[in-house]
Amino acid sequence: MKHVVIVGSGTGGTFAANLLAKQLRSRIKRGEVSIELVGESDEHVFQPANLDVALKGKRPERYVKRESRLLNPLVKFYPEAAEKIDLGDRRVYTKTGRSLGYDYLLVATGAVADPSMTPGLEEGSLNFHTGPFNAARIWEKLKGFSGGRVVVAVAGVPYKCPPSPNEAAFLLDEHFRKRGIRERVEIKLLTPYPRAYPAEAISEVIEPLYERLGIEVVTFFSMDSVDPKKKVVYSLDGEEYEYDLLLAIPPHRGADVIIRSEVGDEEGWIPTDKHTLFIKDYDDALAIGDATNIPISKSGVVAHLESGVAVLNILSGIEGYGEVFRYNGRINCPMELGYGRAIFVSATYDKPPEPQKPSRIKAIMKSTFSRIYWKALSGDLEWIFKLFLGECASPTNGGKTVTLAPAR
Amino acid sequence: MTQAEQRIVVDSRGSFCPGPITDLYKAYRRANVGDVIELLATDPAAKSDVQAWARKTGNEVLEIVDEQGYIRIVIKVLRKR
Ligand SMILES: Cc1cc2nc3c(=O)[nH]c(=O)nc-3n(C[C@H](O)[C@H](O)[C@H](O)COP(=O)(O)OP(=O)(O)OC[C@H]3O[C@@H](n4cnc5c(N)ncnc54)[C@H](O)[C@@H]3O)c2cc1C
Repeated sequence: MKHVVIVGSGTGGTFAANLLAKQLRSRIKRGEVSIELVGESDEHVFQPANLDVALKGKRPERYVKRESRLLNPLVKFYPEAAEKIDLGDRRVYTKTGRSLGYDYLLVATGAVADPSMTPGLEEGSLNFHTGPFNAARIWEKLKGFSGGRVVVAVAGVPYKCPPSPNEAAFLLDEHFRKRGIRERVEIKLLTPYPRAYPAEAISEVIEPLYERLGIEVVTFFSMDSVDPKKKVVYSLDGEEYEYDLLLAIPPHRGADVIIRSEVGDEEGWIPTDKHTLFIKDYDDALAIGDATNIPISKSGVVAHLESGVAVLNILSGIEGYGEVFRYNGRINCPMELGYGRAIFVSATYDKPPEPQKPSRIKAIMKSTFSRIYWKALSGDLEWIFKLFLGECASPTNGGKTVTLAPAR
Repeated sequence: MTQAEQRIVVDSRGSFCPGPITDLYKAYRRANVGDVIELLATDPAAKSDVQAWARKTGNEVLEIVDEQGYIRIVIKVLRKR
């Protein structure tokens, strides 16, 4: 019997578990393979909606579902946090004392947005990165906001969803304009990057928009601390910005279990091969999504596409394809620009993002995706993603591309 | 007591925008006034980005050297809270 253990039941882990269960259906039924998924709880949050909760007043409960209902029945699910991952002994220990041996391990423990990493940030700011219920506090604040300085500030890199600070700035503008109080509000974006968005082609699209809307963008901003009493943000080089409402993108780090198990670097990111997704120095352990140190966007799209590549590499081992599959680094992050328009930041490892026109269709695509997310997690809609995003995995030995089995 | 000035070497070779600038922030966070940060990068944009960063933050680029296959940028930390 071959044991596949997946740690982390968010976007990447759920996709991987369901795709594997579908592919290995007969073997699982014959007792030759088991797919075991370890999650922190039985809750699954659709995180991109945090922005809709914070800035459009959507109800947070809408975006939380029970993980056990999203899983293929052939997946064994343990809603009990992993306490330790032992790559040498090929074992995962859970909080309840369960010990799971594995032949293949897939780590998908995500990233933790942690305001406590910056002095004063927790008390001095609100954010949409630590869950939909915290995001709802922003909407509560906005409703009563009648004028003043609103600062959107990135407190550390990398962080989940690179376009999210820009989206927040644009949606704030829309919110205040619709309420007719825009002239009473000053909106500032503090970003660590040399321009409004790290990719130049995207910056070229959004910088004129910032200018037109009267949103000030402060570049090269590196946050030192926040004084919640004085309501001031300080940068490492001594600049100060006063605020009445601070929306922060908190610094991020790897999950506690990664830090505790010493599987990651000093910030808890797992050293991972950006093509094969194997954890450095291991041929039986892979990592995907926000948990890795791969320098591309920490996004659901990446976690999803990487899950497909990791699944192929696990299948290759179990079925003996004799191939190692490689991820091409495809990203495809939507950026909402307000007033029902959006662009997509789309690239691969070899091809940087290109400039593009904002459009309503792209905004509709973004909202359509949030509606099909729960269904997509089953793995039944892979063909749609392939149609839009192309083939993202390629075999290294020049062998045939293995296509995952169609939905049954 | 004064702390000895340190030299922090940051190897960003192989990573592209925003990789080098991200690595520079991490080094800057650890650094003290007087320290020297040596950033190694293959991203050609690193040159202009780091110069612009130094202008904005009040730090100084001491030299930019085109080495074999990469760029070496040496920065002196002059301003740090
Ligand atoms: C405001 C916001 C907007 C976003 N917008 C977009 C967007 O438009 N498009 C997009 O593609 N992405 C977007 N994202 C990013 C996307 O949500 C994440 O990148 C994606 O969820 C990453 O998937 P993952 O599987 O790596 O991590 P996650 O989905 O975060 O899952 C990690 C899981 O691991 C679990 N875990 C952690 N520790 C343990 C442990 N010890 N034991 C067991 N389980 C553990 C966690 O509980 C969690 O369930 C957005 C994120 C935010 C916050």
